[in-house]
Amino acid sequence: MKKRSTASKKSRKSSRPPVARRRWSWFWGLLGRACLVGVVVLAGWLVYLDAVVTSRFEGRRFEVPSRVYARPLELYDGASISTGGLARELALAGYRKGDGRTPGTYQQSANRFVISTRGFTFSDGAEPRRRLSLTVSGDRVRGFRVLSGEDSPIVRLEPAQIGGIYPAHKEDRILIQSGDLPPFFEEALLAVEDRDFYEHFGVSPLSIARAMWVNLQAGRVVQGGSTLTQQLVKNFYLSREQTLVRKGNEALMSLLLEWHYDKNDIFETYLNEVYLGQAGVRSIHGFGLGSQFYFGQSLAELELHQVALLVGLVKGPSYYDPRRHPERALQRRNLVLRVLADNGHIDEASARQYQARPLGVTGSPSFSENRYPAFIDLVRRHLARDYKEEDLQSEGLRIFTSLNPSIQYAAEFSVRQTLDRLDASGDRQLESAMVVSSRDSGEVVALVGGRDPRFAGFNRALDARRPIGSLIKPFVYLAALQRPDKYTLITPVHDKSFALVFDDGRRWEPKNYDGEERGDVPLHQALSRSYNLPTVRVGLDVGIESVVDMLHDLGVADPISEYPSMLLGAVSMTPVTVAQAYQGLATAGFNTPLRTIRQVTDAEGQPLSRYNLAVEQVLDPAATHLVQYVMQETMQEGTGRSVYRRVSQELSLAGKTGTTDDGRDSWFAGFSGDWLAVTWVGRDDNGATSLSGATGALPVWSDFMASVPQHGFSPVVPDGVQYHWVNPHTAALSGQYCDNARLVPFIAGSEPTVTDRCGGGLQRRLRGWFEELF
Amino acid sequence: MNRTKIYGVTAVLSLLLTGCAAGPGGSIYVPAAPPPDYNRSSSGAVSPAPESAPASVRPMTPPAEPERSSAPSYQDQGESLSGAAASLVRKADSLLAQGNVPAAIGQLERAQRIAPRSAAVYFKLSEAYVAAGNLAAAEQFTLKGLSLAGNDSGLQRAGWLLLADIRRARGNVAGADQAEARAGNL
Repeated sequence: MKKRSTASKKSRKSSRPPVARRRWSWFWGLLGRACLVGVVVLAGWLVYLDAVVTSRFEGRRFEVPSRVYARPLELYDGASISTGGLARELALAGYRKGDGRTPGTYQQSANRFVISTRGFTFSDGAEPRRRLSLTVSGDRVRGFRVLSGEDSPIVRLEPAQIGGIYPAHKEDRILIQSGDLPPFFEEALLAVEDRDFYEHFGVSPLSIARAMWVNLQAGRVVQGGSTLTQQLVKNFYLSREQTLVRKGNEALMSLLLEWHYDKNDIFETYLNEVYLGQAGVRSIHGFGLGSQFYFGQSLAELELHQVALLVGLVKGPSYYDPRRHPERALQRRNLVLRVLADNGHIDEASARQYQARPLGVTGSPSFSENRYPAFIDLVRRHLARDYKEEDLQSEGLRIFTSLNPSIQYAAEFSVRQTLDRLDASGDRQLESAMVVSSRDSGEVVALVGGRDPRFAGFNRALDARRPIGSLIKPFVYLAALQRPDKYTLITPVHDKSFALVFDDGRRWEPKNYDGEERGDVPLHQALSRSYNLPTVRVGLDVGIESVVDMLHDLGVADPISEYPSMLLGAVSMTPVTVAQAYQGLATAGFNTPLRTIRQVTDAEGQPLSRYNLAVEQVLDPAATHLVQYVMQETMQEGTGRSVYRRVSQELSLAGKTGTTDDGRDSWFAGFSGDWLAVTWVGRDDNGATSLSGATGALPVWSDFMASVPQHGFSPVVPDGVQYHWVNPHTAALSGQYCDNARLVPFIAGSEPTVTDRCGGGLQRRLRGWFEELF
Repeated sequence: MNRTKIYGVTAVLSLLLTGCAAGPGGSIYVPAAPPPDYNRSSSGAVSPAPESAPASVRPMTPPAEPERSSAPSYQDQGESLSGAAASLVRKADSLLAQGNVPAAIGQLERAQRIAPRSAAVYFKLSEAYVAAGNLAAAEQFTLKGLSLAGNDSGLQRAGWLLLADIRRARGNVAGADQAEARAGNL
């Protein structure tokens, strides 16, 4: 060293150093400087990587999407459900046919069910695991019993997940902790993916060597050399490209990660990060969701052969996809079981026994993202009132909705079936929308946005604003009937044409749908037959603004112009808005805001917001009762009477048709005791059709009402309403057995004071007397 | 002080509820109709399998009860609470006693969903909203309950008295007197 320095001094001193030596010195100098720069750059790079590693790991590690649930099915004696409906609900909630003893399975023989529930913690109380037994007869639950578990006359099943709200990168996961793992899971994962996990510092040369040796012996790739830490770093921070620089970064970051965090932290993060499959654009991350995705079960419930498959999938979720390549998946699973046996975690006999088991994968993922796009759309709009989109995408919120899968199924089916029949020509120009809500609670239970219910495009139920035609008429007559001094159901109203001339000289001459005029008709008939001329006369008499005010009271938020033509429905609404307005007609005049969400909780189940039932009396209950009477009459003798070709006569229903010019819009809105449904049929381009409310929207509505088991509509007579036998044509009190006698409700004091003496009714009176006797 | 009085009324109401927990009545329950002539595809049939639900396979007969179908339906009384709904009301009662009002309302809304035509369940909701200090909601639920009480004078009387107390607590003396008079006339 010294010598060299002397020499160099010498050489520096010499006036003409040799060229070669000068070159070498230049080289070493450069190299030294380069090394120095390299060290500085590397140090800088390490500082940068360290910042990347720690900031991502320290901050929120996962964006967990929010989960949207259907309403939980309530089972109790008398609950309304069909056998087919129950089986469908169970499948949707991830139940499998099985022994009915393992949680999450059920046994069905004919109409008898034994269901073993998994239990669920609702924010208002836990539903523990139970075994239930019940039969379904006449579309009702009978003989409901709790076979084991806490006894209760009513039990909620776990709600089915019907959607999620995902971050932009569409990663979906269910967070788990290392304590949630089933037996042998950790052993299997470490045995296959990283045997020295608890010994190495992030990178394991030993593992790489061993992997090479094992792979050479096997003649194929059995083990990888990457540690779990490296795999995590690769997924967490790096792109998927295979370059040396990336490999270097991976190694450095792995070392840094291990230096900063303990093994358990890294292991848990790995469990939740690992990529396990794809469902459309949604990517399946973590073993928690992987278990649900492939087996429809929670991770803790998995048996050894399922554990082995899930662990085996890490190597190549697409290549070993058990649904697309079951034979590859089976081989891979059995290899994992073999490794477990070779390492002494399980004995030979159990290895062989589990290797003989089928894959145990569900036929299709337990829920598909696009099942109810129209309903989820409405849920998201309701959520947007109170929640920020980024919180919904990342905070793992749980959103409990009112969707009733059985009703939704019937609604979708009725729309599709009826529209296929209506445009038999096959040009598929017709479109449709449907809203179903619970009559007394205002919960939206089903929503159809078009004839293809899986298409997540234009949502007609929420966005198609169309003139509502005669759907307005019940409100016009309601405004009149709130003045019992002037209007009763048998008040004669004038069915005769007239012209309105406006200040600017325009004329408006409304016509009846059939072009006929009938002179005086009783009010109830004018509404149940949907005559236009008397409606406009009555509406102008009571004042357009009173009809507009009523609609606003019933929750119609859009502005409504007060033109006389609005009395015939020249006011545009969406199907959901119509349902909102009809909610008040369907109850005793209570505005009941439509809701889709019952509750939002955080990821741990703590309630964040509740959307409670709310009611507000906005209409006169007595006048509302009279309108409900006529809306029932509409179904029995008026424009809606074709309903009973499809629906049982026993089911009393109330409703109203609506048609706009040239059949551009065909509407039907009505209700049973349980459900309120609004249907619309028309064309997206607003073109003419040959349909009326009775031939377009009503068949969809009828088909729906016929296919849903339910209670008929039978309103309780409100205070201050009395029924009287009257002859509507003479507007006089009458006897039950007189000609034209009709039992009609009146607001007390508004009933006729004259009595029609009925002649020739003796025979009928006698018959009635005998009927009552026997 | 007013609230104490309201609790007094609801205690009377609770007695009434137990009294009416079993009784006839209600809108007729109709199982799903069999598929129509134009034949549904078997894969998507909505109605249950024939062997499992006898009620759904009887033929669509022409009006069995013509007099029922020819006239609009109505009833003089609301419906009683089923056993399942009554058990939820009891659960809500004990949650209310523990002071857990939100959970009590949750249970009562469950009861409302399965017994939506029972006056009792709305009176109970009113009681829960009184406990929550939301008297406006309590008043509306009382009105809703009254709309279903029909000619059951016991329920009517309890409802009007409850309404009178709630209105008085809200400072609506005239409304309270009116409700009290209604109760008195029963």
